[in-house]
Amino acid sequence: MQKILVANRGEIALRIMRTIRKMGIQSVAVYSEADRNAPHVLFADEAVCLGPAPSNQSYLNGDKIIAFCKELGADAIHPGYGFLSENADFAQKVEDAGINFIGPSPAAMRIMGSKLAAKECVSHYDIPMVPGIDKAIEDVELAIEIADKVGYPVLIKASAGGGGKGMRIVEKAADMKEQMERAISEAKAAFGDGSVFIEKYVSSPRHIEVQVVADKFGNIIHGFERECSIQRRHQKVVEETPSAIITPELREKIGDAAVMVARSCNYTSTGTVEFLMDDKMNFYFLEMNTRLQVEHAVSEMITGLDLVEEQIKIARGEKLSFTQEDLKLNGHAIELRVCAEDPLNNFLPSIGTLTKYVKPVGEGIRVDDGYEEGMEVSIYYDPMIAKLVVHGKTRTEAIQKMLQAIKDYKIEGVATTLPFGTFVFEHDAFFTGHFDTHFVKNYYTPEKIKEKQKANAEIAAIVGLKYWMEQQKLLNPVDNKSTSWKRRLAH
Amino acid sequence: MTDNNKSYKVKANEFVFSIDKNQTAAADIIQKSPTEFNIINNHRSVNATLVDSDVTGKKLTIEVDGESYEVEIKDELDQMLDVMGFGVATTKLIKEVKAPMPGMVLEIVVLDGQDVNEGDKVLILGAMKMENCILVHTNAKIKRVAVSVGQAVEKGQVLVELE
Repeated sequence: MQKILVANRGEIALRIMRTIRKMGIQSVAVYSEADRNAPHVLFADEAVCLGPAPSNQSYLNGDKIIAFCKELGADAIHPGYGFLSENADFAQKVEDAGINFIGPSPAAMRIMGSKLAAKECVSHYDIPMVPGIDKAIEDVELAIEIADKVGYPVLIKASAGGGGKGMRIVEKAADMKEQMERAISEAKAAFGDGSVFIEKYVSSPRHIEVQVVADKFGNIIHGFERECSIQRRHQKVVEETPSAIITPELREKIGDAAVMVARSCNYTSTGTVEFLMDDKMNFYFLEMNTRLQVEHAVSEMITGLDLVEEQIKIARGEKLSFTQEDLKLNGHAIELRVCAEDPLNNFLPSIGTLTKYVKPVGEGIRVDDGYEEGMEVSIYYDPMIAKLVVHGKTRTEAIQKMLQAIKDYKIEGVATTLPFGTFVFEHDAFFTGHFDTHFVKNYYTPEKIKEKQKANAEIAAIVGLKYWMEQQKLLNPVDNKSTSWKRRLAH
Repeated sequence: MTDNNKSYKVKANEFVFSIDKNQTAAADIIQKSPTEFNIINNHRSVNATLVDSDVTGKKLTIEVDGESYEVEIKDELDQMLDVMGFGVATTKLIKEVKAPMPGMVLEIVVLDGQDVNEGDKVLILGAMKMENCILVHTNAKIKRVAVSVGQAVEKGQVLVELE
């Protein structure tokens, strides 16, 4: 492998290229007209423009990407996450063009990409599953019928989806039609496939997932679990590993289950097996993500693996260089997704120019980002600006490090999830580990952040006013009644 | 009026405080360096940093707890001018539906002149791959749809005018 084209943008494109360079391989960036000055374009050895800003005219244009690959002599494509990463047809076309697709086989993607096929495939193994499963559909009337059978509340999920896009909870029959239409439309826009999946919505679950790594020789290992229960709009915002509640015995059990899921579809490359866990610590297979996850960095920090490097080696046909026994859990890692969203306004997208952008630095702090000061966060792509990841010897140490890193992260020009992060990491429920995917619903109100901001604003106001009054006196000596900072205490 | 009773209206980002001279005199603040301060407020020890200051313009930027605050000071004269200014502004009341966030208009479901009820869907705004239904907040008649499908809108932009 001499040259790899990275079919993605933002932080993940940059993160992948860093490993590519480390391995002595050339990198090719792709970009839309909106991303000409993006860091991934500037970092790459070569770069090609795919077209206008909307993703369906640029980053989702698989044929164009393959054509550029051939033109530039790239012998492999890394799809990142999102965009074409779980599109089996694309992976097939890539292989048919004689290009190495860095990821699982199209067959494995096809099975796990279809929730129906996935359940069918896994059902031959002893793996517990979420109740009330049906089929992927695009028919609104049929959806209502199915929902009635399963019983409300139900969850609508894009069949081709992930990351909360095209996902809706429906509480009552009256809302079903509208929510179905929205979900289908979102799914179509985001993945080019409007079919959705309907299942019983399990309340108060935790979202636990397991990292797996599999080579082409049948060696499959798991890289421990990730706890991803802190979510807003069904999208993860905080992830950590190890989970605060999982015992070594349970870790082994859920890890083995994940390996079995991977084995069931002859999986190769890195992947993630997602489970729901109820309050009695029963876990259910949810789905397998056949890609590199956004939150892979926390697993890297506790295992010492470079998962992108493993992906590339596996794609080159190399055997895993380690065994399950070699992998040791080292310390604790936490990730906060820093998104351009306003936590004070229902996490609505906040678009604008990054007038100030200063990253935190320090031992055990990793920032994966795709933006620089002065860049614009546009409406065309995902609102994630960066992933802030910390590693500590213990969970408490990691939490404290995270709180300091959030303080040191200066972003102005758009609202971000940073203040929400502070709220989470200071919250008792998070500290004790007693939380589920309803953390936001149960504990979070914007007022709690507002109160804190108001207290700080008052301090800024008093300090500011006092400073200003002192300066006024310096400018206006006649008025100066000598109330210097130190002498004030004598009053 | 004695000097110490002088009251200031101080704006820090979206928060507004009335602070008089006695309060600033009583505040337990030490200056650690030309730009660094420590204040003990309700037993909380907080560090504040002066990032920028425009003394004549009565504007400062102060960082507290990692967050940046734009501080704007208004003395009594400024406040009086504001009140006079506001008197004019409050007479103007427009009924409209504004964009709660920037985005792209994906679909419009109302027409000019149509009657709508509170909670009715007006249009669908897409941003960052999410679709959001924009609802009308009152019973009204649509005077004019001010945007078209495919148009990019800014936060706060008028989408629909109501009668």
